[in-house]
Amino acid sequence: MKAFALSEPVLLVLLSLAEQPRHGYSILKDVEALSGGRVLLSTGTLYGALQRLLSDDWIERVEEDKTPRDRRTYRLTSRGRRNLQMEIERMRHLTRVAALRVARKEA
Amino acid sequence: MALTAYRWLLCLYPRSYRDEFGEEMVSVFRHARSELPPAVAAKISFYWREFCGLLSGALRAHFDRLFGPAMPLRRFNMQPQFRFPRSTVFLMLVIFAGTVLTIAKAASVAGGLAVWPSLVSVLMFMLLTMCTAAVVVWGILHTLRRSGVHRLENVQVEANRNR
Repeated sequence: MKAFALSEPVLLVLLSLAEQPRHGYSILKDVEALSGGRVLLSTGTLYGALQRLLSDDWIERVEEDKTPRDRRTYRLTSRGRRNLQMEIERMRHLTRVAALRVARKEA
Repeated sequence: MALTAYRWLLCLYPRSYRDEFGEEMVSVFRHARSELPPAVAAKISFYWREFCGLLSGALRAHFDRLFGPAMPLRRFNMQPQFRFPRSTVFLMLVIFAGTVLTIAKAASVAGGLAVWPSLVSVLMFMLLTMCTAAVVVWGILHTLRRSGVHRLENVQVEANRNR
């Protein structure tokens, strides 16, 4: 999967999982909280993103014996964490350049 | 009733996808629905979002299954050369409508009838054309799926792995 640029829902899902492993509903609520209520994911969008991230090995399921099938937990893989850090670095660079340009224009 | 409709819409997804995520999706939907605020607007917004999310998700799942994840459907794997501005679609539709009107005008002049076709008839014609195109595209996709062409990529990967 090409790493850049991530769509906002995918970025928020990754950020949610960066903190701790979560199950589907927990990701949904955390994404809402992370975005200040601006991004409300539907289950279709959430599981579309999870499926793609799973197939590209950015996230993985936490295998637990007692976990029911309808409440599986996901976590970032080392590859996913590395790519997330690269994406954050890209965004940091972009905001730095943007701030410089805006400041130059105002001066 | 909403849960039944949700399960029904899940049938639009490929079977493998449903087997893998179906139960989880239903569970998350049920959970999210139970915590909805009582306001009607919030409920409408929630159901609308879920409905649209399921439809677009099912479409993407089918495309992914047919063409693999390389299919540029999402921003996070979209290549700049595939980007297609919406304004272009609008302009194409306008040009298409203009072409249809011009052809109709030419035909009416050739036939001695200087009558412009009505806007309704042009719109109906465009709608019919789009429906036909959609059916043709669906037919092609269905044929490709039946032919198993999407498995060729896996064969290629296996061949590379065996090298």
